[in-house]
Amino acid sequence: MKRTLALLLLVSLLATSGLFAAFAETPDIVDGRFTTTRSITVEIFDRANEGGSKPEDNFYTDFIKQGMLDKHNVEVTFIPVPRWTEVDVLNNLLAAGDAPDICVTYSYPTIQTYAEMGGVTDLAPYLAQYKDQLPNLWDLLGDDNIYWDLDPERGTLWAVEALLHMNKRINTFVREDWLKKLNLEEPRTLEAFEAMLHAFKDNAQLLLGEDADKIIPYSTSFDVSWRNDHLITSFVPESLSDKEAYVRGFDDRRVLFPNYKEGVRVLNRWYNDGLVWQDFPVYPAGDNTEDNLLKAGYVGAFTHNWDYPYRNGEDSIHANIQRAYGPEAGYIAVEPFPNDAGIYRKFLAAPIDRKVFFPATNTEPVASLFYLDFISTLKNRLFLQIGEEGVTHEVMENGAIKMLPVQGEKIMNSLTNIDYTITINGLDTGDSERNVLSTALGYPTVDARYIERAYALTSNEARYGKNYSVGLIQAELGMNTVLPSKRDTFLTQSVVAPVDQFDAVYDAGMDDYLASGGQAIIDERTEAYERYYE
Amino acid sequence: MRDLRTRPQGGSTSSYLKRYWTLYLMLALPLAFIIVFRYFPMAYIISAFKVNNILQPPWHLPWARNNGFEWFIKAFNNRDFLYALRNTLTLNLLDLLVGFPAPILLALILNELTFKRFKRITQTVVYLPHFLSWIIISGLALRLLAFHDGLLNILLRQLGLQAIPFLNQPSYWVASYVGLGIWKEAGWNTIIYLAAITAINPELYEAAAADGASRLRRMWHVTLPGLRPTIIVLLIMSLGRILGSEFDRPYALSNRLVTSVSNVISIFVYEYGIRGMQFSLSNAVGLFQSVIGLFFLLGANTLARRYGERGLW
Repeated sequence: MKRTLALLLLVSLLATSGLFAAFAETPDIVDGRFTTTRSITVEIFDRANEGGSKPEDNFYTDFIKQGMLDKHNVEVTFIPVPRWTEVDVLNNLLAAGDAPDICVTYSYPTIQTYAEMGGVTDLAPYLAQYKDQLPNLWDLLGDDNIYWDLDPERGTLWAVEALLHMNKRINTFVREDWLKKLNLEEPRTLEAFEAMLHAFKDNAQLLLGEDADKIIPYSTSFDVSWRNDHLITSFVPESLSDKEAYVRGFDDRRVLFPNYKEGVRVLNRWYNDGLVWQDFPVYPAGDNTEDNLLKAGYVGAFTHNWDYPYRNGEDSIHANIQRAYGPEAGYIAVEPFPNDAGIYRKFLAAPIDRKVFFPATNTEPVASLFYLDFISTLKNRLFLQIGEEGVTHEVMENGAIKMLPVQGEKIMNSLTNIDYTITINGLDTGDSERNVLSTALGYPTVDARYIERAYALTSNEARYGKNYSVGLIQAELGMNTVLPSKRDTFLTQSVVAPVDQFDAVYDAGMDDYLASGGQAIIDERTEAYERYYE
Repeated sequence: MRDLRTRPQGGSTSSYLKRYWTLYLMLALPLAFIIVFRYFPMAYIISAFKVNNILQPPWHLPWARNNGFEWFIKAFNNRDFLYALRNTLTLNLLDLLVGFPAPILLALILNELTFKRFKRITQTVVYLPHFLSWIIISGLALRLLAFHDGLLNILLRQLGLQAIPFLNQPSYWVASYVGLGIWKEAGWNTIIYLAAITAINPELYEAAAADGASRLRRMWHVTLPGLRPTIIVLLIMSLGRILGSEFDRPYALSNRLVTSVSNVISIFVYEYGIRGMQFSLSNAVGLFQSVIGLFFLLGANTLARRYGERGLW
């Protein structure tokens, strides 16, 4: 009966869409199982972590392989791809026609470019046909994430978006013990924050003793728009419309948002007042000089990833500072930058994460979709995320999951095995309260109160990105690296410019940004938005 | 030694081949290498004139717009490319002006050292930086030359002097760039000159000394003329690279404050072509670089021959 139905559906599809070639060979599937064994290859990030297991062959890949064979009669082979050069390696594999059947990347423009070259499988017809056989994929991602990248004109779908389950971004941190030493309140306004930085600088002798000349009231990096996001975007008016947020939202750091310049002007003033780390512009991405300054305890405040000072156990910034300055010392997350409406607005991304796609060389799209369904199943992905009880985790009295350090064959090469759960990012135990409690336990060297505070503030009063399905914006092709690089450059130059030259430097930089493709993107986005949404 | 280029008197081609076939056999492998890895890939130059697609062989693809010149037009309409062109020329010319004579001077000085042990140690010491990668050198440069925390500037300030923005200001950065280039490569590049100096007939020095020529005179009138053919050949080869651009040196040494002078063609190709996935564009730029380089090479070679030097061929 099921087969007849499937056949009927197939015939009707053939008649309507004329996709004869794609469906010439009907996969023989009985109860979600292929009658003959199929085989697929799957990309897996290789982090080359010390003491790690082979990413393509370990305890967890065995779990997936066995599960896929039992449930769907599909053989899975993993193809390792170096995590830090994934786009370059993927480029090579795609160009050579050797890409795995299931590919994953953070870079949608890469997929888009290859799709334009005819190198990517259109998922739309397969998803339409097999939807009822992929219930777990739909449960996890929903129509929103599955059809996020759907082209409204052509109806093509080149990738599905993984779920960003824990949508956390950045925090502003200050040294809690310094505040106490100077009898300062936690800053709740820009003025108070600035006064605090001055107080740090003026009392360097008290705070750092003989290292007083090394004091850095506020540190940042060349990545100005990321590392000062809360400060700068607090100048964006609350009245920003959805349309403007989309049209001017190509840059994920929101450099094109209105009034952005005034936020940068504050930094420029601070820099010229000697409140900002003076050498920040010359250190490149990945340099650990700033980390070392933070660990040495010379820095009063900074903005970074929401849990940055607490990461990495014994080598965390927090643990280093406590060793050097005692148990009172540490960074605490604060919320000092209200916007014009007095709201501590944070701009957060839409809940999308990695993008999963099938190259055109994939001859088993249905088996590949079954794979996505398999790893989206709660039971399976939870096992991949937390492993075995008593080995990789223990369950606390309140139900929270506490991860245990593991060595040997059951080691997780990435935090909660994120590399295997390619459809979700962030621990999901199936219960939201349990998720929060479990997250706070993920930092064994840090008191839970720091984590809970950081966790709450980072997304407090957040405004989330929305999806606008307008298809390909031609002007964005090839711009995803050029424009961000220009942005970092002119923002850095603006921050260090003499105060009286700030306007000239910033305006010249912004003009260049717009002339090099920024304006074309704004124009095309405006047109697309008005066509589909007005 | 017998001159292998002339055929033995009265011998036929077959007896010549019979005699020297082993030499041709030895040549076959490098020739095959050059043909397979240097000439065959040149067919792909055509992708500079085709639509941007690296999934299909370029000869199956349609031509790019504007009669195939879309990518060239795109490059020359791009301000970043024009800046990159300017910066490449400026940095390479400065390298040529300052960096090219440096190893010659160093070789002359080394040649005058009389204590053999000291000479050998000095040579080894000046060769060493060549073996460091630019990534390591850029790390050293940051630690030494950063404006506030750099060792050199800390010293300057303690001596009561002004700190120098070696890496922060474009003009100073260019000087640091050229200077570090000399520091890294000058020693290594003396090898070829020192080898050429050993080939100079010692009798010339003796005769000059007998005529009362001082040390400097001997360097000027004996050593330098003896080096001239080597200098000319190396100069022509450098001119062939006038538009070529290294990637790791400017990329590693650069920072956000000096991109106006440090963005060179290779960085443009990396940002737009490779990371931006406009492969045809990067191919077009590469082709342009090579053609200009070839013109410079031929031009310099012709000039050299006109002034009585042997040139490259």
